[in-house]
Amino acid sequence: MLELTGITAGYDRRAPVVRGAHLALRPGESLGLLGPSGCGKSTLARVAALLHRPDRGTVTLDGRAVTGYRHRAPRDLRTSVGVVFQQPRLAADPRLRLRDLVAEPLRATGRRTEADAAVAELTERVGLGRDLLTRRAHEVSDGQLQRACLARALILRPRWLVCDEMTAMLDASTTAALVRVVEEYRADTGAGLLAVGHDPVLLARWCDRTTHWDEIVDGTVKD
Amino acid sequence: MTRHHPADAAGVRPAGPAPAGDPGPAGSGTGPGAPVLAVDGLSVRFRMRAGRHVEAVTGASFRLAPGECLALVGESGCGKSVLASALLGLLPGNAETAGSARLADGLDLLAADERTLARTVRGRRVGLVPQSPAAHLTPVRTIRAHLEETVRELVRPAVPAPRGRLRGDALRAAAEAAAERAAFPAGHLDRYPHELSGGLAQRAATALALVGDAPLLLADEPTTGLDRELVHRTVDELRAHTRDVGRALLMITHDLAAAERIADTVAVMYAGRIVELAPAAAFFGAPGPRHPYAAGLLDALPERAFTPIPGAPPELGALPPGCAFAARCARADDACRAERPALTEGVACHHA
Amino acid sequence: MAEPVTGRVPGTTGTTAEGGPVKAAEGGPVETVEAGPVWKPAGTVRSSTRTLRVRVSAAIVLLIALAVLLVPPLAQLDQQAVDLSAKLLPPSWAHPFGTDDVGRDLLLRCVYGLRVSLLVGLVAALVATVLGTAVGAAAGALGGWTDRLVMRAVDTLSSIPHLLLGIFIVAMFRPGVWPVVVSVAVTHWLSTARIVRAEVLSLRGRPYVDAAISGGASRWRVAVRHLVPGVLPQAGLAAVLMVPHAMWHESALSFLGLGLPAHQASLGNLVQSARGSLLAGDWWPTLFPGLLLIIPTLAIAGLAGAWRDRLNPRRRSELSL
Repeated sequence: MLELTGITAGYDRRAPVVRGAHLALRPGESLGLLGPSGCGKSTLARVAALLHRPDRGTVTLDGRAVTGYRHRAPRDLRTSVGVVFQQPRLAADPRLRLRDLVAEPLRATGRRTEADAAVAELTERVGLGRDLLTRRAHEVSDGQLQRACLARALILRPRWLVCDEMTAMLDASTTAALVRVVEEYRADTGAGLLAVGHDPVLLARWCDRTTHWDEIVDGTVKD
Repeated sequence: MTRHHPADAAGVRPAGPAPAGDPGPAGSGTGPGAPVLAVDGLSVRFRMRAGRHVEAVTGASFRLAPGECLALVGESGCGKSVLASALLGLLPGNAETAGSARLADGLDLLAADERTLARTVRGRRVGLVPQSPAAHLTPVRTIRAHLEETVRELVRPAVPAPRGRLRGDALRAAAEAAAERAAFPAGHLDRYPHELSGGLAQRAATALALVGDAPLLLADEPTTGLDRELVHRTVDELRAHTRDVGRALLMITHDLAAAERIADTVAVMYAGRIVELAPAAAFFGAPGPRHPYAAGLLDALPERAFTPIPGAPPELGALPPGCAFAARCARADDACRAERPALTEGVACHHA
Repeated sequence: MAEPVTGRVPGTTGTTAEGGPVKAAEGGPVETVEAGPVWKPAGTVRSSTRTLRVRVSAAIVLLIALAVLLVPPLAQLDQQAVDLSAKLLPPSWAHPFGTDDVGRDLLLRCVYGLRVSLLVGLVAALVATVLGTAVGAAAGALGGWTDRLVMRAVDTLSSIPHLLLGIFIVAMFRPGVWPVVVSVAVTHWLSTARIVRAEVLSLRGRPYVDAAISGGASRWRVAVRHLVPGVLPQAGLAAVLMVPHAMWHESALSFLGLGLPAHQASLGNLVQSARGSLLAGDWWPTLFPGLLLIIPTLAIAGLAGAWRDRLNPRRRSELSL
């Protein structure tokens, strides 16, 4: 289970962007979270990926209550959630070649030797041509870069995936291709998915169930 | 690139709600029947190392009539943003252009010097709604400061004023009116760009683009990152600012739903070329797109088959000799691989 | 304008046809090739004047580097050679920069002086940059009270005027090259620390750092792999800009008699010792060392400007009005 209970979070304690959000995701389930621009759903996605410490509330991941976020979260816990962001340009270190971008999580977790094989397999799966792997972020298009970012999120084989507006910058064909990659991965591994987005048609087509931001935020929590 | 140059495509123009009258050849002069923008054989290439070139845009030709909205669609990296940059004279130093892009008064945007572009074109004759408004706005200045500066620069007061510029209360009122036109809430005027949500930042940028009352509005991915409702509002507003007042809108987007909502004409770009130019109603409705790439793009929508087009687009620096889409196309044959189809009657395909 | 080429030789497709015309069109921007489109250069004209400035700056820097590296070992003359029969000669073919009040050749003295000043400037800038980068990166990466404490200390040090602090430091040692280097370095790392900290703070909030953390990267790995490489260009730029700054500082200290020992030719010492003759109307002993202080400063600034432009190229999507 990935469970978020009573999450209040933001960047300024006096004005949190998320107030009392509740969310529960069963293993293997895919949940689409719909919300308008700027409602705080990206912040909630970061909380779910253990990348942002909430001011209040708890996150429970596979039965373990999360006590630390970012570097304070145990490595095996935070690598169990793969995350893909909206803007591939910002989510890719401009100095890395795509090959290194995808391999980075394996190297960071001391599994350097597996990198070559895993990168080859995954980049093919996300539809990234071999000749693109030696390029840096500014030498490829948004769509190609997002493919690399998805490969990076999958390379540690996380049990959970958080896709925060993953396809917002992409054309229809790349969107369909990346959603297909995610679904194939989930069929393989039984991973759960939290897909945050603003397109009801897309999320309805993609996820088992969708919920709206208003339904998960506790209306009674005020200041 | 030097072989087949589909300048003949210039003769093709789709049926839109365009006014009567033959658009005529480029630069045929001014007049009420003249298109707001006439693009003929526009090509852009970038010089790379070792004498190589990347052909970002090749032989694009289209017309934009007053009140018409043309949506230029295609995936990221197909050259549509480069086309926009070319129209605004904002290409990087290693770029070369060919062809022409004339405004109604005959000014060729590709031949105009930087001074002309800065003083009389950008903001005044071509308004820009940028792709990333947050990056477009100066972070250390409030939205009000942005608007007032632009109003002071572009709007002439009704009653004569010193140095012909609005000041004081009149300036303040004009800036607030400009915000209102783009539905930017007055209560947020004193905020800084980073304090705004994506939607509000987009509206702030739209408000700025509308200040100069330019006859042509160029919107570069105006709906990126906005939710569906906001997309609808944003494009509806853009439409209201154009169709109703006789302004032309060139919208560059990868969002087909946004294009469907407001476009009169759709131009589909693939690997730097316009491969289909069609009335929006025919394109999105019956009989549907004619180019296999355009058909594939529509089929990828979650409202439709949700199936991606197989393969990946070719590199602009190493285009195949034939049709650039042949490698991904189910209908491709030897003719497709050998010869590049020209855009004739609104579609560039041997099989259409 | 562009008629399709009809009746092409069959088989001239692909790369062969691609290569030819492109090469031909390379020389002149407006050159019609076969029946292809007429290409004209786009982009801003400004870039060409900027290129000229960069080229001139690079040439000057190269010339200075060659002079400073090659003249002392190759010169047949002794820069210290006193010739009282030739004192205070105005510039001539034998002595292009003239001679000083004890008849030493000023061109040679200036080259030696520039050598010493440059060395002091380079080493001081290097030390200051390493120190500033380390402190700034640590403050930015660790954040919290470490950051507050360090930055408060930086603010406090910055509130003391540079030169005053520098004088205080050299006064504690015997005159020599190293006290000057230390004095300049200690007073100049503060700005680098600020720049680097700000840059680290902005990088730390990027989604790619989030992605790295999510990918299991440790604090150390994030710092080494993403943060430090991200700030190095900025730090390098700061270092380059600091070289002339440090040279001026050395000169100021030497001019006040607190820097290098008076017999050692440095630009500051040369100007200092020329003061007397300037009052007597002899301009050259002051002018040439002064120019050698100003010209490298401008040249280095020119190169650094080009570097800065490369760091912040106008992004294609950012079409500003």
